[in-house]
Amino acid sequence: MVKASMSGAVSSMLNCRASSLVLVLVLAALGGCGGASVSVPGLFPVPLVDRIPLPMGLHLDESLTGYVHAEELEEQGEWEIDLGSAQTQMFQNLLSGMFDSVYPVANPAEPGGEVAGVLVPNISEVQFSTPLQTRSDYFEVWVRYRFQLYGRDGELLGEWPLTAYGKADEDNYGMQSREPALQAAAVAACRDAMAFFTVQFRTIPEVRQWLLTEAGGPSR
Amino acid sequence: MIRWHQQALATGCLLNLMLAGGCVTSTVQQVRESATGMNETESVVVLSRKTRPSQEETEADFVNCISKSMRGGKQRVNVVGEQAFRDALFPWFEPRTAPVNASDLPELISQPELAERLASLGLRYLIWIEGDTDRTDSSGSLTCSVTATGAGCFGFLTWEMDSGYEAQVWDVRSGNLAGRVSSEAVGTSYMPAVVVPLPFIAPVRSSACSSLAQQLKSFVLNEG
Repeated sequence: MVKASMSGAVSSMLNCRASSLVLVLVLAALGGCGGASVSVPGLFPVPLVDRIPLPMGLHLDESLTGYVHAEELEEQGEWEIDLGSAQTQMFQNLLSGMFDSVYPVANPAEPGGEVAGVLVPNISEVQFSTPLQTRSDYFEVWVRYRFQLYGRDGELLGEWPLTAYGKADEDNYGMQSREPALQAAAVAACRDAMAFFTVQFRTIPEVRQWLLTEAGGPSR
Repeated sequence: MIRWHQQALATGCLLNLMLAGGCVTSTVQQVRESATGMNETESVVVLSRKTRPSQEETEADFVNCISKSMRGGKQRVNVVGEQAFRDALFPWFEPRTAPVNASDLPELISQPELAERLASLGLRYLIWIEGDTDRTDSSGSLTCSVTATGAGCFGFLTWEMDSGYEAQVWDVRSGNLAGRVSSEAVGTSYMPAVVVPLPFIAPVRSSACSSLAQQLKSFVLNEG
């Protein structure tokens, strides 16, 4: 027998039809166990900025393209966010919007003569929180990236961190909100990384110096 | 006789609840800062604020409702979808980069790529929506049981919902704040349950949406 009781704290599920209320209560009683497994889809826009007139290399390590964050939360089950599968499309779109051309580079220390530099992104840490943990309506995801910039001769010119953040309101995703809301928060974090990178890139001192050398100045 | 009287009383109470349950009180206010108006080739976009510290984002379905309502009706307004707009103007309207004030617009639009993209969308007005719908009061209790022989509920719940939304209308052409339109709506819902719960939901959010959308439409078309 399943028995559930509600008092003044009426949840938003009361907007549902009466016939589905019993089902809701059963699901609510069974809730709490679970977790979620989501993958970020590789659908990202191309930044709308003045392109840097240089050919750019991109090296994506397997540690990035295979990155999966897995975590077991107390009384909330196992959670998994596959970020790696979206990284190739994400960085391809990002750099193709920012540079004249983008080329994959197998070894950033030996980039060959075609590119002015090589960008090597990596994920150093991922954190997330659930609405139950924060007592809010939001899933939140933080992704800490670490970027390396190599010059055309393969020398490491600089490296810098970038922390991206995304959140998603579980109320926007109906009753089975766990997976779509977590996925939306992870997508938002990836978009934030792209946005942050776009506006920050030209302000990094090592990048400014590199742009001065290669393109005659840090164009907008 | 007494039994009939009790049944009539119960039916009367139920009818009262059904009638009262649907009631929503809504008000709309408008402040105009400059003249508005748009032609058939121009469009608007309705966006919600997604700034990080805020834990009270406007509901996605409310923003969709405003867009849909402005597209429909007698005098239709061209509305660009929120996601399509954010993708087309990426990364300039993301939570981290979106302009906070209308006065930030001229600098943003001075970028040739952005100006060109906005022109291709025919965008005339940016409408920023802030606010949400909250439960402000609730009382009563309701208990449901599910057994092998059946299921049932007993009790009575009542709750009050309060919607408060404000729309800022930015004129993309002039880079100024054209005005503000706000909508407030309050309504009480009831749910009595004798075996089967009977929800009488006050459509607070949809009332706020329809009144705000209508006023916004009138505002950008300069009908009053």
